[in-house]
Amino acid sequence: MTFRALRSILLALGVSALSATAGAADKIRWLNDWLPAGDKAVIYLAVQEGLFEDAGIEVEINSGRGSSDVVTKLGTGAADMGTGGLSALLQAQAGAEVPVTAVMSIYTKQPDAVFVAKGAGIDRLQDLKGKTLATATFSASNVTWPLVLEANGMEPDAVKVLKVDPGAMGPMFATGRVDGTINWITKLPAFEALMNDAGKEIKVLPWSEYGFNGYGLSVFASDRLIQENPALVAKVLDIYKKALRIAIDDPAKAGAALKAMVPDVDADIAAEEFAASARLIDTDVAGQDGLGAFEPELLAETWRWVAKAQDLPEDSLDPETSVTREFIPE
Amino acid sequence: MKSPTISAPRSSDRRRWPDMGRALLKVLDRGAPLFASLLLLLIWELGCRLFQVPSYLLPAPSAIVQGALSVSLESWLGHIWATLRVSLQGYALAVIIGIPLAVALANSRLLSRTLYPQLVIIQSTPIVAVAPIIVVVLGAGDAPRVAITFLITFFPIVVSTVTGLLATPPAMLELSRSLGASRLREVKNIQLPFAVPYIFSALRISVTLAIIGAVVAEFVAAEDGLGFFIAFSTSFFKVPQAFAALGVLVTLSLVLFQLVSLTQRLLFPWSLPDAEK
Repeated sequence: MTFRALRSILLALGVSALSATAGAADKIRWLNDWLPAGDKAVIYLAVQEGLFEDAGIEVEINSGRGSSDVVTKLGTGAADMGTGGLSALLQAQAGAEVPVTAVMSIYTKQPDAVFVAKGAGIDRLQDLKGKTLATATFSASNVTWPLVLEANGMEPDAVKVLKVDPGAMGPMFATGRVDGTINWITKLPAFEALMNDAGKEIKVLPWSEYGFNGYGLSVFASDRLIQENPALVAKVLDIYKKALRIAIDDPAKAGAALKAMVPDVDADIAAEEFAASARLIDTDVAGQDGLGAFEPELLAETWRWVAKAQDLPEDSLDPETSVTREFIPE
Repeated sequence: MKSPTISAPRSSDRRRWPDMGRALLKVLDRGAPLFASLLLLLIWELGCRLFQVPSYLLPAPSAIVQGALSVSLESWLGHIWATLRVSLQGYALAVIIGIPLAVALANSRLLSRTLYPQLVIIQSTPIVAVAPIIVVVLGAGDAPRVAITFLITFFPIVVSTVTGLLATPPAMLELSRSLGASRLREVKNIQLPFAVPYIFSALRISVTLAIIGAVVAEFVAAEDGLGFFIAFSTSFFKVPQAFAALGVLVTLSLVLFQLVSLTQRLLFPWSLPDAEK
C-alpha cells in the first residue's frame, strides 16, 4: 500500500512536471548589437505589437556592445539570438569554431559611411585626401576603411583617422577638430541634431557607393538553440520579419514602441534613425531576393572584403557554412 | 548732560559693530565650503555664456539642470536604484568576505603566505580589462556587475583590516594569553576593537569605490543604471544629461561616504580620532 501510494504520488508529480514544461512559455534572450536607438527598434516593436505574446514566447532584450560582443555572447550561451554585422561573424569563424549561425539578413547594403560638413569642398571620397576623420575606437569599419580607399585608387594612409570614444565623435566634428567621422548611416539623425546646433549641415558619403558591397546587419542564432528548438528560431524570425515590415511602413510606430520600453529615448529621433536604416533594408537587392535572404554571390563578396581586411586566405572559410537559409520566413 | 546720552549709543554702536563683524566672519567661515562651491558654479556658468561654449562640449550648470529636468523622475529613480542596488550588493559581499578573510590572514602565517600573493595579483589586474570576460562568464543580470563591484571594493577592506589587526600591541595579546583567553575571544575582544579605525577608513574608501565598480560594470553590460545612462546619453550627444548623471553619482558617493562615517560615530564613537569626537 505504502509503495503504491508513493508510486502514485511520484507519478502525479512527474505528470505535473511534464505538463508544466509543456505549458511553460518558450523563452528567448535577445541581444541587440548596440545601445537602444531607432535602428534597433524592430524587436521592441514586435514586443509592443504583442507578436511575441500571441506566439507564447517570452522575450528578454539586452544591449550588446558591438557585433563581436553579440557573437561572443551567443557563442558562450549568454544569449540565444541577436543582431550583428555579418562581417563580425565571418571574421570570428575564420579564426575559430564559433557555434553561431546567421539565420536572416537585415541590411543588404553596408551601413558604413563618412559624414562630412556640407560646403567643406568634400564631394567624393577622393576629396578626403589629407583630411582628418574621427572613428570609434572599436568600430569594425576601421578594418575595412583602408581597403575602401585602395579600391578607389587612394593610398591606405591618405586620410588621417583618429580613434576616439563614440560619444566624443559628434562634438569633435561639430567643433571642427576633425573634418568628418566614420559612422553607420543610421547614426545620421543624431549627428544632424547635433550639427544643427552648431549651424552646420552634413553630407554623407556611403561606402556602398564606392564599391563596398555585402550583407551588413543580420540576425544570428546560437547553434545550441538551432539544434534544441529549431521551431522557436523559425517563430522568432517570422515575428521579426513581421515587425520589420510594420516598421518600414511606419517608422514613427517603431520610434514610439522603442520609447515605450526605453523611456529615455527621443521618439522622433528614433523614428528618423529607423527610417535611415530602412534605406539599407528595403533595397533593390531585397526586392529581388526577398527580405532576409542570403544570396550566394553577395554573401561571397561580404566574405571577400573580410578576408582581405583581415589578411586571411580566401579559402580559410566557406561563408556558406556561416549561414542557414532554413528559417528565413516567406 | 547731553554728551553722555549721545556718547552712550555711540559706545554701544562701537560694541555692536565688532560683534556683527565677528558674527558675519563666523557665518562666512562656516559657509566657506558652500560659498566656494557656489562661486565656482557662477564662474562656470558665466564662462560658458561669455565664451559661448557649446553645451555638447561643456554644458553650463543651468544647461545641466535643464538636462536633468528633461528626464522623468521615474527614469532617474530607476537608474539610481539600479546603480545603488549593484553597488550595495557588491559592497556588502566585500565586507562579509573581506573582514573574516582579513582575520584569517592576520592569524595564520600559512594563509597569509599562500593567499596574500593571490589577492595582490587580483588587485593588480585591471578590472576594466577583465570586466567584459566576467560578463561573458556570468551572463546577463546583476551577477556580473556585483562581481565587478566586489572585485574593486574588497581589496582595500582586506588590507586595511589586516593592518589594523596586526597593530594590536603584542603586550595585550600576551596578557590575554597568560590569562587563558581563547583565540576567538582574543580576536573578538582585543584585535578587532583595535582594528576598528582601520576598518572604517577602508569602509569609507570602499563605498566610493563600489559606485565606481557599478559604473564600470554598467559601461560593459547593462540596461539601466547611471553608468549605462551616461553611455546612452553620450551616444545621442546629450552631454548635459550625462553631466547631470555624473552629478547624481557624485552625490550618491558623498551620501554613502557620510553614512559610513555616521555609522562609525554612532556605533564606535570611541574609535574616532580626538579631533572628530
